Amino acid sequence: MGTIGNLDDPRLNYDYSKRERGTVPQDKTRAPFQWVSAVAYKNVHRIVTRGYDTTELVEAGYGLPDIIFIDFQARIPLIEETQMLNYVMVLSLDDGLSSPAAIARITGSSTTLLTQACGASILAFGHTYGAFDSFGKMLDKYLAMVENEGKPTGEVAELLARENLDAVHLGVSDMMLKDPAAKRTFARAEKLGVAGKYIAFMKEVVAAVQKISDKPVDLDLLGAIGATMMDLGFSSDATWVIVAITRAFAAGAHWCEEVEREPQQRFGEALTPQEDYDGPDDRPVPTLEERKRFASAVEYKTPEEWKKGFVEKQKMYGTGWRIVEDIVDPRDFLKKQGRK
Amino acid sequence: MSREPFFRRKTSISYKTEEKTVLRGYNVSDLAEAGYTFCDAMFVLFQQRLPTEEEEKMLEYEMGEFLEHSMSPSAASAFAVISGRPNIPAAAAAAVMTFGGAHGPGAAHGYMLHKYIERARVEGISLEEMGKILVDEHMDAGLAVMGMGQPQHLDGDPRAEPTHIKHEQLGINGVYLELQRSIEKHFNERRKREGKAYVSVNMIGAGNTALAELGFAPNAAWCIGCVTRGFSCAAHALYQMKKGRAWAASKSEPMVQMLDLSMIKYVGPEDREVPNQEERQEYARKQKEEGEWKKWVL
Repeated sequence: MGTIGNLDDPRLNYDYSKRERGTVPQDKTRAPFQWVSAVAYKNVHRIVTRGYDTTELVEAGYGLPDIIFIDFQARIPLIEETQMLNYVMVLSLDDGLSSPAAIARITGSSTTLLTQACGASILAFGHTYGAFDSFGKMLDKYLAMVENEGKPTGEVAELLARENLDAVHLGVSDMMLKDPAAKRTFARAEKLGVAGKYIAFMKEVVAAVQKISDKPVDLDLLGAIGATMMDLGFSSDATWVIVAITRAFAAGAHWCEEVEREPQQRFGEALTPQEDYDGPDDRPVPTLEERKRFASAVEYKTPEEWKKGFVEKQKMYGTGWRIVEDIVDPRDFLKKQGRK
Repeated sequence: MSREPFFRRKTSISYKTEEKTVLRGYNVSDLAEAGYTFCDAMFVLFQQRLPTEEEEKMLEYEMGEFLEHSMSPSAASAFAVISGRPNIPAAAAAAVMTFGGAHGPGAAHGYMLHKYIERARVEGISLEEMGKILVDEHMDAGLAVMGMGQPQHLDGDPRAEPTHIKHEQLGINGVYLELQRSIEKHFNERRKREGKAYVSVNMIGAGNTALAELGFAPNAAWCIGCVTRGFSCAAHALYQMKKGRAWAASKSEPMVQMLDLSMIKYVGPEDREVPNQEERQEYARKQKEEGEWKKWVL
């Protein structure tokens, strides 16, 4: 058989007609693959997490939040820490019909397994809803200025407030002006003696934001739970996922209710009213023969053309062009290293 | 900022206002302030009631046991997903979604218990006798008896029998445990008669029976078990993310990695030439007629 397509192009990295067939032999020069874990192991008779036999743990009276501490932090928590984690988990369990519950219900309306709906609810946690990772990394970044550069916390809190005033992960907003749950969380942490540097700093952040905000704001649940979890020793990403999973239990109840109370959705069943549509007007489909007259390529030959096209494409919703994500700029690293 | 409802449904689970979030009638902040645990809140969520202290203890025990199970399909999924470095919730979601018909099929076991308890009631048969009927019906039909056996813990899941004992010790045993115990007894009596080895109850048989006894519906029980596992899977994923290499295929690691090329064993059709487009139609017709492809259809 002759050459296929472009597979004899001299620019290719190697000769495609001489590529070897078959799988790669097992690598005997290195240790064989194993599931390496510092979290847990099991054998025929035991399940062990961070050195503790899990059956012995529960027989000894340790419960769910204790074992969350053990799994994530490799330590037995203080009783007060367990109490605080219980508190945070109860608060995190339900949030009404917000996105995790909604997505669980939408998933359930297709007659899926409950676990699909619970998984989907966890996926609803991002960098806006439940932005515990972004929030925690923000606190760590500014607290590092206090710890490494010796700056006063009040000054750093003010800097954080100025630089993040509009950030959705600030942890200070107008959402909890009438609901005391967030502030009660800090009070409880202080009462239990588990409040630490994150809660102390967050209180300064709240004060700093209140000084410069043009509307009334206060600590919200993201800020309260995020700072409390970090004072309990959980990293920002651990906090993110622990809260997301906690919320998934309630998503399971929402899946049940959706199945119990609502009609199931069939493929092609739901209509979308034309009045909700603001795309191109209805238009006839050209025949394949007419295609050349209607179709136009969008390759740009110069950066200037590209920019014009880019801006034009940004006018269209649902194409992805309006979303501009910030990526790492290596020049920032070079600057930090004093190489630029 | 608009605080209009994101999604509208008539619901008896919860509501949220500017002042409070209310779950089944209880302000969640007040629940936490009063010292109720997360396990207490599970009863509120799924049963609209606060549990007795013994019931709460049983659920703490169970959720504590469910949480970590080292490398099971769920942890392996979390490990694999995070190796591509998505956001960490994606790994936890994948882990929870591995639970289906084989890995932790809790809801199905619950429905099986319901069905046979109802039959015992309608037919006027004791639960002890109904356990034998359940076992015989399943085994005669060549069906697995749910709640028995575990592929890794060959001598019995270390969590299972202690869960039964705790269930009894806390005095919360009722129809579910009675039927489950009968199933276990008759299952192994029959296996013995058939010259087969003893098979112990697993965590579905033990844990789900206790959850049913605690008043959780089959799917609520399933939710509790599977989502609890999500916590440990998230820890496994974080370990991979923070201590392991992305892609899990690096040649620089001293141990062969999960996705190293040498880990692939191929047992599919032999390598074959790609037909060109001129030959294609005839090639495809002949291939379809010969039918060898049917051996590989999935």
